[in-house]
Amino acid sequence: MSNLQSIQHEFLNYLLEKPSAIANTIISDDVSADQRLGLYADAYKLRLKEAMMTDYEQLHAYLGDEMFDQLMESYISRYPSNKESLRYFSQKLPNILKVDQPWSQAVELSELAVIEKTFCDSFDAADGELVTLAMLSQVPLDDWPTLRIKFHDSVQELSMTTNSFQIWKALSEDAVPPAVEKNTTHWVIWRNDLVSRYIVITDVQASAIKMMMAGSSFSDLCESFLEYYDEEQTPQQAVGILQSWISHGMICELLTE
Amino acid sequence: MTRPFLGFGLGLRTEHYQYVLENKPDIDWFEIISENYMVPGGKPLDYLDKIRAEYPMVMHGVSLSIGSTDVINKPYLSRLKQLAERVEPNWISDHLCWTSVDHTNSHDLLPLPYNEETIEHVVERITQAQDFLGRQILLENLSSYVTYKNSEMNEWEFLNEIAVRSDCHILLDINNIFVSAHNHHFDPLDYINGIARDRVMQFHLAGHSYNGSMIIDTHDHNVCDPVWDLYATALKRFGAVSTMIERDDNIPAFQELESELRIAENIAKTVLMPKELELGDVKITGAA
Repeated sequence: MSNLQSIQHEFLNYLLEKPSAIANTIISDDVSADQRLGLYADAYKLRLKEAMMTDYEQLHAYLGDEMFDQLMESYISRYPSNKESLRYFSQKLPNILKVDQPWSQAVELSELAVIEKTFCDSFDAADGELVTLAMLSQVPLDDWPTLRIKFHDSVQELSMTTNSFQIWKALSEDAVPPAVEKNTTHWVIWRNDLVSRYIVITDVQASAIKMMMAGSSFSDLCESFLEYYDEEQTPQQAVGILQSWISHGMICELLTE
Repeated sequence: MTRPFLGFGLGLRTEHYQYVLENKPDIDWFEIISENYMVPGGKPLDYLDKIRAEYPMVMHGVSLSIGSTDVINKPYLSRLKQLAERVEPNWISDHLCWTSVDHTNSHDLLPLPYNEETIEHVVERITQAQDFLGRQILLENLSSYVTYKNSEMNEWEFLNEIAVRSDCHILLDINNIFVSAHNHHFDPLDYINGIARDRVMQFHLAGHSYNGSMIIDTHDHNVCDPVWDLYATALKRFGAVSTMIERDDNIPAFQELESELRIAENIAKTVLMPKELELGDVKITGAA
């Protein structure tokens, strides 16, 4: 290992609070090497915490300063950043909250984190030209059975097992959040006209959006709708849901074979 | 020998997007933080394109990690190049530092030891980066808080040597010189007088904070008087150099930064002749 490699390796260990010999390589004068290095260690942690506080503002409000700080400390020590941009540093947080004790005991924590992460991801997801209702009406009749769609990259469907969305909404309005309740709901978050949006959707709509995102065709969609509607209603309902997604600005492409 | 002179600019910050678009303030150019726009789409890139259509821009990165002992980060360079194709900046800059090693990012600008081993290592990597990007880059001097025992030269000798050997340019941060001079007990004038005239392409100005006996480069205050004095000295040595003010925290209204930028412009008008401050290519005078 070269001197430079060794210095960088030891410096990084110091920042990560691992055993490090970096202080031996630094000049102490009126300010000691440890004091000087401490400025970097403090800045390292502060910067990562600021990024997490920005990305998970409502989770922070829900947990309070002390518990959120514990969460940040634990996350920072276990998942050092391997990305160039702080924007992506805390992307693993929802999953950590879902599987790690003690956080996993309160399901709404992971769900709140998912909501905030999804808004972040939707905010700067790739742009795309939107399909219009007129374009849908021009699809030849023969192409309808095999018709597939491409959603805008910002569109994400979220299935929640608690009233986490209501908790998130209350927190974001600086209101007192409701008590946690078991409550299965489905939501869509997306961006339209550069603004992030969200709506609550039904079980049927959630199942439809999942299918079509996974690449199913219009005829697959109709078949799945037979579970909920009679044969006469089914095509009309399936066309209706496509129209609704288009009206909301969620669809980028109509793919015909 | 000449250098392009863009005039007086500001760092583009999200807080000011709307104001800039609605008011088209009289600013010569903007500097963007490259990483903030390395995203797939949405508002950041939308505002970037709209503001770029009105103003010249330069790109300033924080993650090139040119001094790292990891393999050079080609995926990052690709994203940087792709952004440059979109922005068409007058130039691209980053810092003479390392930010990541062992594939772990510190998100900080960490100092290098000033010695021959580091020079050879960094020059090789700058060459790779410049070849990949197809252009010369600018590297900025840091504010630093530590000095390595195995440093063999002053920071300005190190910076000069790297710029000359790799044929890159220098983004001279006047505030960083002031901060590091205080923290490491050297004379900031020695630094300014030690930098090659023909390598300097841009100046940064910023504010800082005191932490006990150390000064920290926080970019959260106005530029202080001693830094303005140092700026005047730098103008006398280097002539007209594109100048911008960085503000990253405690960000005030745009008009306040604009007023601060006018201070820089007025100092330049006092130190230099009107002809020297005409935008475009300016002649570099005096010995290197």
